[in-house]
Amino acid sequence: MVREIRDSMKVAVLIKQVPDTTAKVGITSGSVDEGAISKWSISPYDEYALESALSLQSGSGATVVAITLGPERSSKSLIDAAAVGADELLHVVHDGGLGSLSLQKALSEAVTRVGAEVVLVGKQAADTNSGSTGPGVAKILNYSCVGLVSRIEAGSDGFEATRSTPSGMERVSVKLPCVFAFDKGDVELRRPNVRGIMMAKKKPIEKISLADLGVDNTGEGVSTTSVDYPPEKPEGQRFEGADAAAEVAVKLREEANVI
Amino acid sequence: MRTLKGLVLSGCTDIMGYEALDFYDVDSLLTDEERMIRDAVRDWVDESVIPKIENACREGVFLDEWRQDIGSMGILGAPLKGYGCPGLSYTAYGVICRELERGDSGIRSFASVQGSLAMYPIWDFGSEEQKEKYLPGMATGELIGCFGLTEPDYGSNPGDMVTKATEDGDGFVLNGAKMWITNGTIADLAIVWAKLDGVIRGFIVEKGDPGFSAPEMKGKHSLKASVTSELVFQDCRIPKDRILPGVKGLRGPFSCLNNARFGISWGAIGSAQACYDSAKSYALSRIQFDHPIAAYQLVQNKLAWMLREITKGQLLAYHLGKKKDAGEWIPEHISLAKMNNVDIALEIARVSRDIHGANGILDEYPVMRHMANLESVKTYEGTHDIHNLILGRHITGIQAFTKGA
Repeated sequence: MVREIRDSMKVAVLIKQVPDTTAKVGITSGSVDEGAISKWSISPYDEYALESALSLQSGSGATVVAITLGPERSSKSLIDAAAVGADELLHVVHDGGLGSLSLQKALSEAVTRVGAEVVLVGKQAADTNSGSTGPGVAKILNYSCVGLVSRIEAGSDGFEATRSTPSGMERVSVKLPCVFAFDKGDVELRRPNVRGIMMAKKKPIEKISLADLGVDNTGEGVSTTSVDYPPEKPEGQRFEGADAAAEVAVKLREEANVI
Repeated sequence: MRTLKGLVLSGCTDIMGYEALDFYDVDSLLTDEERMIRDAVRDWVDESVIPKIENACREGVFLDEWRQDIGSMGILGAPLKGYGCPGLSYTAYGVICRELERGDSGIRSFASVQGSLAMYPIWDFGSEEQKEKYLPGMATGELIGCFGLTEPDYGSNPGDMVTKATEDGDGFVLNGAKMWITNGTIADLAIVWAKLDGVIRGFIVEKGDPGFSAPEMKGKHSLKASVTSELVFQDCRIPKDRILPGVKGLRGPFSCLNNARFGISWGAIGSAQACYDSAKSYALSRIQFDHPIAAYQLVQNKLAWMLREITKGQLLAYHLGKKKDAGEWIPEHISLAKMNNVDIALEIARVSRDIHGANGILDEYPVMRHMANLESVKTYEGTHDIHNLILGRHITGIQAFTKGA
């Protein structure tokens, strides 16, 4: 059963625009060459957060506010979110690097600004893999935080969240206000249709700066020293003929640890 | 609905998807919405067509889930306005056709027939009641349409068709047969062109009308994931209000064909892009004489030729789209693009098969499927030769369709 408050509940979804998982990423002079990235997309885990928000919208009439922080091009991820049904769009425009702490402060201010008591976000961004945004925002706002969530349902007194643990699935009860950091779930993501795309074109995007939120890019405890390509995969081993089966079995068991 | 594709897991960064060849960045000329529609259709093809198409072809079926998905994407009857139709540009319609045909010509054929050949004549020539009755359901894919013009003995010269309609009391009675009808067996309604007192008129025949049957044609080596049927009318009785009031003569079916041919001129580029994409990655990974075959001049020559022809075809399709949207076009413009782009796509499919060597004949790769499909596409909606004759007449002022005229 849904509490009455949910009829007007605002759900914020924090969306990051990242290089598409099919795009080639190159490094020049110690940092990722963004100009060479052919396609940008919503970070995959954020897509699950968005999908869950849209389920709350259709289930209980919640208003979904999509929030992103990034350069001008990031607006595209908000339009993509609108095309599948996000109600309101907020873009914190910032070009260049931003430390995790400043990012969390800015997003927390943005969440406060839109008045959301439920925040949905991917467990980590597909580009930086930091995994700090959800917990960081929860800490700053003093919201409850649940990580590795695969599904949430509105309950009688808050939410029921399903999350994965090393030994299986766990269900937890969560009171508002709260932050959910989403893992890949078994839900299917909705696809934009032409009507949604044409409506998204007309949806206004509120654009604000870090200064508007009273945040500056200082006081960071963590900074990136360098980025590098992952190590090359070692060349594979070849085996021929049935006689090699025993040797292959031993290697699979003792070296690859797969059987 | 979709599932997440290509989620990069740590240590697993080599998942590369389809990168559409766009050497001149022609898609940068599209509007933001046209690109979003392109991406939505492209993603759908990646997730819902590519993994299933080979099996569907083996079994010779068009999956009903494709109808549902295409309907829910809202892309059917793309350029039509009102009555629940999307109201997009012709350029957007072209982009949709291109992305669908990158998956398979049969999928694009489904959408072409539904939009250009079944919805369009109702939209342009139908009564208000007919538009309201059929178009909203057709736009969502809940109602499927087909188009009956070609007959067993009348293909390139439909004007000599023998299917007849006669007035009989409060209705019409149809007699005759149509052939090579895409979507026929699965269609809820057919737009049938028949002679009434010697004049070609359009009629809406519904599934279940007495005397109407639509047996599926089997044994195709091409468009195997598309339904192709005969339409048979044996004293088929339909009510009076099923005639399309707005058109008489060949202008009716030819108006529909112009739109479908326009979509094909874009769609063929999708097939060509798929064949190029496969040839490129195969050539880079196939090692012969200690080097990837892409390192050899003969293979590079083939790839460069593909890139050249695809780029020209893209520019042709794009400019034709702009002309269509501006209303500044003649049917000959469409003939040129349909003929050229299908011709080069078929040749690209053949060259791509050649680059794939023996592997090219397997359904592990898309090329032979596209090649076989394009043989149909070259022939339907005005054969390659008929389009040459249309251009020949345009150039010389002398028609060469008939002898002794």
